[in-house]
Formats: sequence, C-alpha cells, structure tokens
Amino acid sequence: MNYFERHILETLIYLPMLAALVIMLLPRQRQDLVRQTAVLSSALLLLGSLYVFFAFDHSAGAAPFQMERAYPWMEQLGISVRLAVDGIAVPMVLLTGIVAFTGSIISWRIDKENKNFFVLFFLLVAGVYGTFVSVDLFFFFFFYELAVVPMYLLISVWGSSSTFPTFQRSKEYSAMKLTLYLVAGSVLVWVGIIAIYITAGAGSFDIRVLQEAARSGALDGNFQRVIFPLIMIGFGALAGLWPFHTWSPDGHVAAPTAVSMLHAGVLMKLGAFGIIRVGLTILPSGAEDWALVLFILATVNVLYGAFSAMGQQDLKYVIGYSSVSHMGYVLMGIATLEHLGVAGATLQMFSHGVMTALFFAVVGAIYDRAHVRDIGVLNGLAKRMRWTSVFFVIAGLTSLGLPGTSGFIAEVLVFMGAFRTEPILAVLGVIGAGVTAVYILRLIAKVFFGPMDKQWEHLPDLTKKEGFAAAVLVVPILFVGVYPQPFLRIIDSGVALLLSGF
Amino acid sequence: MLTMEWAWLIPVYSFSAFGIVALFGKYLPMKGAVVSILAILAGFITFWPVLFDLLGSGLPHDFGSYHFVREWFSTGNLDVSWGIIVDPLSVSMLGLVTLVALGVQIYSLGYMRGDPRFGWYFAVHALFAASMLTLVIADNLLLLYAVWELVGLCSYLLIGFWYERRSAAEAAKKAFITTRIGDVGLLIGILLLFMNTGTFDISETIRMVTDPLPGEAISNTVLVASALLIFLGAMGKSAQFPLHVWLPDAMEGPTPVSALIHAATMVIAGVFLIGRLFPLYEAVPNVQIVIAIIGLTTAMVGASLALVTTDLKRILAYSTISHLGFMMLALGAGGLTAAIFHLIAHGVAKALLFLGAGSIMHAMKDETDIRKMGGLLQKMPITAVTFIIGALALAGIPPLSGFFSKDELLVAVSDGLNPIFLILLLVTSVISALYMARAVRLVFFGQQTEESRHAHESPIQMTGPLVVFAAITLVLGFTALDLSDNFGGFGAFVYDHAPHPFEFNPLLAFGGIVLAAGGFLVGWLLYAGPPATVESLRTRFAGIHRLLEHKLYIDEGYQWAIDNVALRTARFIALFDRRVINDGAVNGSGNAVYQAGLKLRYHVTGKLYNYGAGMVLGAMVIVILLWVQPF
Repeated sequence: MNYFERHILETLIYLPMLAALVIMLLPRQRQDLVRQTAVLSSALLLLGSLYVFFAFDHSAGAAPFQMERAYPWMEQLGISVRLAVDGIAVPMVLLTGIVAFTGSIISWRIDKENKNFFVLFFLLVAGVYGTFVSVDLFFFFFFYELAVVPMYLLISVWGSSSTFPTFQRSKEYSAMKLTLYLVAGSVLVWVGIIAIYITAGAGSFDIRVLQEAARSGALDGNFQRVIFPLIMIGFGALAGLWPFHTWSPDGHVAAPTAVSMLHAGVLMKLGAFGIIRVGLTILPSGAEDWALVLFILATVNVLYGAFSAMGQQDLKYVIGYSSVSHMGYVLMGIATLEHLGVAGATLQMFSHGVMTALFFAVVGAIYDRAHVRDIGVLNGLAKRMRWTSVFFVIAGLTSLGLPGTSGFIAEVLVFMGAFRTEPILAVLGVIGAGVTAVYILRLIAKVFFGPMDKQWEHLPDLTKKEGFAAAVLVVPILFVGVYPQPFLRIIDSGVALLLSGF
Repeated sequence: MLTMEWAWLIPVYSFSAFGIVALFGKYLPMKGAVVSILAILAGFITFWPVLFDLLGSGLPHDFGSYHFVREWFSTGNLDVSWGIIVDPLSVSMLGLVTLVALGVQIYSLGYMRGDPRFGWYFAVHALFAASMLTLVIADNLLLLYAVWELVGLCSYLLIGFWYERRSAAEAAKKAFITTRIGDVGLLIGILLLFMNTGTFDISETIRMVTDPLPGEAISNTVLVASALLIFLGAMGKSAQFPLHVWLPDAMEGPTPVSALIHAATMVIAGVFLIGRLFPLYEAVPNVQIVIAIIGLTTAMVGASLALVTTDLKRILAYSTISHLGFMMLALGAGGLTAAIFHLIAHGVAKALLFLGAGSIMHAMKDETDIRKMGGLLQKMPITAVTFIIGALALAGIPPLSGFFSKDELLVAVSDGLNPIFLILLLVTSVISALYMARAVRLVFFGQQTEESRHAHESPIQMTGPLVVFAAITLVLGFTALDLSDNFGGFGAFVYDHAPHPFEFNPLLAFGGIVLAAGGFLVGWLLYAGPPATVESLRTRFAGIHRLLEHKLYIDEGYQWAIDNVALRTARFIALFDRRVINDGAVNGSGNAVYQAGLKLRYHVTGKLYNYGAGMVLGAMVIVILLWVQPF
C-alpha cells in the first residue's frame, strides 16, 4: 500500500469536515468566496473518490477489503475507527463524489446564508462517506446518524413549502417527518446491531469478525430470523421501502435542489447499502428467511411507486415517486440473494443515484426560473430551455431503462437475478419498467414538447455552471450504459465475497 | 473468409458518425450531414465485399457463417458479448438498410434544407441506421434487445422532430409507448428463454431448441410462452394489429423519416426478429398459427383502412401495415424466404413511394390531402413516373419486384396453411391494388386543382434517389431467379430447411396477376368516372365506411383504457398514498402519540401522594405476580 492508499479513506471523511470548518470561518458577506471554497473542496472529494475507484484492485487474488486503516478507540469494547472498502462500497464512494461535486455547483444559486448551507452540506457529505467506508459497525452507525442530522436543518431552513389544490406540505412538516422516520429506523437498526454484537460474543464491531462469528454458528437461525427484519425495516425505511416511503417524496419536494440531489442520489442508497452491509453480510440465514417478504415489498415498491408517479401533478413529486419505484429495483436485486441480482442492485444504486441527481438538478433549474412545478401549467419548454430539456430527456430515458444508459444494464441484471429466483415477481418488475416509460414520456411530451405558452418565453436556459454539472452527471450514465465492465469487475469482487456466506 | 469479417464495421461507421455529428456538427460543413452520409455510404460500399465473400464461401446455411465475438460485460457466471452473425439473412438486411438509409439521407439534403435543427436531424439518422444495422447482425438476444430499443428511441426522436407541434409530440409519445408495450413482452420472453437456456446467444439457443443435448430439453410451455412474448415485441415494432395504431400517426415526422421507418428500419425489425428466430418458431406450430392469424388480420385491416383515407401519407402508412401483415402471414405459413423477399421488395418500393410523397408535398406546400391534388403528371413527371412504378410494384404487377415476392408469398401460404388463408390473402391483394390505383388516379391524373397548378418538380437531391429506387424496383424481382453459379436465386440464399428455386405455380401466378390487374383497373375506372359513383358506394356502405373512417375505433378504445384504467389507477394510488398511508397511517400514528401525551400529562400532577399510590399499586401487582407465577 502506498501513501495515498493508506490515507485516502480517512481523507474522504475529514476533508469535508475541514471544508465545513473553513467555510465556517469565512466572513458571511463573502458569498462568492464561500461558493468557490465549496466547489473546490467538493472537486477534491471527487478526485479522491475517483482515486479509490481506480486504485481498487479487482483482480482475482486481491483482498476483498482494501485501503484499510484502523485507529483504536475503545478497545475494551472492540470499537475502533476501522475504514476499508470492498467492491460494493467503491461505486458508492464514487457516487458520493459525483453527487457532492455537482450538488455544490448547482448550489451556486443559493444566496440565503449560503455559508451555513455549505457547512451543513459538507457535514452531510462527511457522514455519507463515513458510512460507506466504515467496516466497524459502531462507526458505521455513527456516521449514518451524522448524515441524517444536517438533513433536518437543510430542509427546514433552505427548503420550500408547497400548497397544492387539495393539500399542503410545509417544509417543516416534511423535514420533521423525514427526521422522525430515519431516527425510528435507526432505533431498529441500533437494537439489531447491539444484539448482534452481544450474541456474537466476539468482542468486536468489525463486520468481518462478526461475519466469521456468524459462519461459525454463534448467531443461530432463530436469532437471525428475529434480528434481520429489524435491519431490513430500519434501513429499508431510508431506502424508501414500502410502506415506509412517504417521507421520501415529501422530503424531496421540500428540499432545496442540491439537498434533493444528495438525498435521493446518495442518502437513500445508504439504506440499501446498510441492508447489504449488515443484513446480508452478517445475517445470511435471516436474509434467506425474509427474502420473499423483501421481494414482495420491493415489487410493490416498483409498481406502486410507478403508478403514484403517474398520478402526480407536481414535477418534483413525479421524480420523488419514481425514486421510490427505482429503489424497488435495488431492493428486488438484494432480495434475490443471487449474484446477478445483487450486482444489479449495486449498479442500480449507482445508476439511480446519478440519474436522480440529474433529474433534481434539472427540475430545480426549471423551478428556479418558472416558480411553478405544475405539469398542467408548464408546456413546450424545449423551445426556450433547450439544454434543460436535453438533460431531462436523458435522465428520463435512463429511468425507463433505455439501452445505452446505465439504467438498462442495472435493471436487466436485476431482472436476470429475479427471473432465477421469483419469475412471477420478476415479470411484474419488467412491467414496472413499462409503466415508467408511460409516465416519463407523458411528462416529457407535456412539459417539454408541444407549443409553448407566452408566459414561459422569457425563461433562460441552464447557466454554464448548471450545464457543466449536468454534463458531469451524464458521463457516468452513458459510460456505464455502454461499457459497464469496469464497474462490474469491482462490484463482482464484493458480491462474490458477500454471497460466499450463503 | 476475410472480407466477411468487415461486416462489423458497417454499423460502427454510423455510430461514430452519430457521435461526431451530435457533438461537433455545428463546426462541420453542412452541419455534419456530410459525415453522416459518408458513413452510411461507407457501409453500403462495405456491404458488397461482405456479400460476395458470403456468396463465394459456398453457403453452408447455418448461423454464423462468420461469428465474431468480443466481451461486452460479465458478472458472476454471466457473459454478454458484442457479437455478430454474418449469414444470408443478416447480409440481405444489411444491403437493404444501407441502401435505403443512404438514399433517404441524400434526399433529406434537399428536403430538410433550411431547417434549424438540420445537423441534429442527420445525427439521429446516423444513430438510427447504426442501431438497425447492429440489430440485423446481432448474435445475442440481449444485444439485439438493446439496439432494438435504440431503434425505438431514434424513431421517437425523429417522429417528434418538430416537437413544437403538439401533434408531433403526441405521435412520438404514442409510437414509443405502443412499441414499448410490446417490448415489455419481448424482454420478458428473452429473460424467460435465458432462464431456461442460460445463454443469450441466438445460435446456441436455437441449437438447444432444435437439437438438444441430454439434459438441455426446454419444456414446451416455456417455449410457447417465450415465443409468444417475443412475438409481442415484434407486433409492437412491426405495427401488427392491434398494436398498429402508432404507425399512421408517425406521419408527423418529416417525410424522409417515414420512408426510413417504413422501408428499412423500425417496422421491419419485428419481421426480421421472427425470421432470425425462425427455427424456434417452427418448434411451436401453434404459435405459428397465431402469427399467421395476426398477420392476416393486420393485412386486411391495413388494406381496408387505406381504402378510405384521403391523406396520401396515411394511405402509404396503412399500405405498410397491410404489407407487414403479409410478411407475418408468410412467416406463420413457414415461408421464411417469402417473408424476407417481400420485406426487401416492399422496403425498396415503399421508400420510393414515401420519397415520392415527400416530393409531392414539397411541391404542394406540405399538402397531403389527395382530393386537393390532381394532374400532377405533367407538373412533376419524374416524381409521377417513379411513384407509379412503386405503386404498380406493390400491387404485384409483373415484372416489378412486388410480383415476384407476392408470388413467393402465395406459394408459401398455399403450401403451409388452410386454403381460407389463401382466399383471404387474395381478397386483400385485390384491395391493395384498388387503393393504390385510387391514389395514383387522384394524385397524378384528372383535372389539375388550384393547389396543384403551382406545383413544380423537386431538386436533383430528391429526384435522384427516386430514380435509383425506381430502377432497383424494376430489376430487384429478378433476384428471385437462378442467376449464376454462386447465386441460385433468393430462395437458394435465404432459406429455412433446404434451398429452393423460384417456384412458379402458373395457376397462382396467373390468378395473382389477374386479381391485381383487375383490382387496379377497377380502382382506376371507379375514380376516373364521375364522383357520384364513389359517392353512391359510400352511402350504400355507410356503416362500414364510418367504421373505417374511425379506424375501427381502436384509437378511441386505447384512449378510453388509458384515461379510465391506467390514469384512474394512478390517481387512485396517488390519492391512497396521500390519504391512507400518509395522512392515515403516518400522521395518524403521530397524532395517536400526541393525543396519548395529552391524556397522560394529566397524570403528571407533581403531587407526592399520587406517585406514592402508583408505587404501592405497582409493588402489589409485582408481589401478586411473583406469588401466582403465571408464566
């Protein structure tokens, strides 16, 4: 291991913290300086994430967990800050880098207390990185909580309340609901983690030690059967698992653009990642017992989310519910407990993260300019907002799983895995992709195509910065769509290790 | 075996052209159109050495006369490749696609001149051609599905090219969604096959079906199901009844796009797919009957709708639907050669007709109503003559290409199916001749109208391709015949079990000619005569006429289903989510806790004796429990 490999993971955690600290010290009037600092820091984070991606050794004989770094903390209890990445965490690290970078560019527009905004933004990012790279369950949980807290403030201060013909959603309501859900979920998770720690009796929070303990029989079948649902529902709530999903569309709608991007793009992935990291790794037999339940719920997610999205009038709600639907594919892939399915789920996490960030970036840009998000009112935007439309269409095509985009490879892998395990539910999943096509294409035809009302003629297109951010998001979508092999090679090593326990 | 390998280059040229034109088009001469055209020209040139190499190789008819594989992606025990098959079927299609795409692109130089999105138009054309070319040589079903969807995307983009028009936006959406419904079936079918064979490779799959090793046998149920589901995909793309509704609306795109969609890309993909998987379908005869029935229905519906439409492009569109029905019918009858030969003959003729229609519209200020045309023969002689050649070919008049392909078709149907199919096919072919005669008569002959008086012949970029396609239509039919040592006729090139020469069944051929010529003549006389004759027919069959004018109410039916089933379900679920899950369950549980708090706070009195009483009560309960020990 060279110097970089030894230090890169901790850097990814303390660099955003450092950025938050530096921004905190900047004078609040110097808004541009704050923006520049933020973009520069997030650019460094993206570089660091890219480094992790390329430095990860996916060759056959390589260690499954790499770039390991450990600092003892409370050794009596077996708690240390232990950082390492496997093939499943690496794409997530890259995803976080991409979304944080583009999100901070998109946040250039924010002028209300942008200093405080970016401080919280980077704390959130630090928490997300920490969760993805921690292999010590204690710190895994710690960082997970760290990511949740700034979310509340970001939404309730910088968010927007909405009034709809039949109901209202204040940003405080949405922020509170989101926080309550995630905290309730973490309570379940925490109970599960403590139970695992005590029962395994290995005196360590290290995932690999716990996995070993589980394999040697310390965690028996009954125990796993009881604990797995805690993990599944606790993390599942964060991943938008039906019926614990309603925080997610409301949260997306209320959140400012960059927070929606991080929230739907990365935060929901933490939930799915948690199910894999804790549930599948440590509780394989529990996962087998509950796989069918998860599979059914995931199928509900897919179809219910898609139909809900079709029934919405608000652009952000459509995207919010489409996230619920797409996270269904992630959960479905996980529930297959089969190589192709889990690999597909991991790729779908990455793909959906990038795609939905692009969606929210574009929708945010439209809302900033038109001050409405009502599908019934917006029309013909392609005429004036050309690039906005191009990027929305690309995101839309990705979400309906068009070949050539990352969505296709990810979904088709999930389907293959699903067909091998539960063919009937898999068929419903494929039908869900068809429903997605219907609502996305209807939306595009309505909002972007057709004749344009006079009132939209003054709307400017994306700024150069926004266009750049969107283009950065398009690159991985097309890359994975055309040549997914570099991603799959890395994911493979992680999934192989994971499923060796089954 | 050297030049055959070049086949993979053919789509690659156009894929590269797409990238170049889409990204740098505005810096290139003619906004990049030239790059796109050169790419497809290179493809067309490359096609010839591939063809001759294949002909010279002695033609072992099996999948993969040349089989080229490179890894695309792999995970777990799955390996998916970029692979191509070079066999007579794929090479025939390569020729058709490159030829038509080339002609259409050159023609578009004239037709699309001055359009603000000129460069983008050619970029999408390049992608369209590239996807279709990949589709016809793909060696595995996943790659085939991928480019199949890209073909759908390109037609979406081109049909909706003038997206500021509401109608274009709607037509594009309709095309994508309708074909996507079929594609859901296709993907399920492919995955179902994959689940049972463990491979996406087409030749391997077919080998497992036709010649399974011990332990490889696939159950008949699975085969039938996947064959039907894959056919559903083909129905969507190839506009088979009742998924044909998108094709007439696809007229909203620029006319050269229609030529491309109807002749060489998109709609023929479905027919090709069934042709590609033909051995699989032969293993399930019941599915073949289904295909034949759907094909015949489509042919009859398309032909009858063409008879009452007054929009020139829609007449051609319904004619395409009808001919696609013929091709499916032939496939259902087991006539692979007939279907593919008709596909090629129809492709060239239909490209010719659409480009001719575009030339007419160009001259008539985008008018498409044939009642407003008339006497265009004098005004635009080249367009008129070439159009008439195309129309006669599709009507099946010898010695044009359509005569030969229709003869093959009749033989295949009479050999493979119940005579009732043959009779209905002959009836339909009379209607085909009739509507073609009607269109030709009304557009090119008779009195000049106000609008047609100012018409003028189109520029050379447009008439050039017309002349070339007309010439090909004249000679293409003779490729059915035994021409040389290497090429024993189309039937000895693309075939299923055994090569067979052109079958000339005098009775069928003669009958076909008489019926076609008769139909054409009747149509001609009917519309040459006073309008009253047609009018009286229309009033006599008012009911049928209304039914046809409303396109059998199929569109209305779909609209009803979308509004009342899909959208209503969606709104219900959206409302359910808000009212029941969110307001009921989520807020409800929140409220319950809150209310409980409100109630409970009255017990927090701060008075010591209340707490003391509580403690005593609790202690008593514990003591009693310990004493009784119920657990």
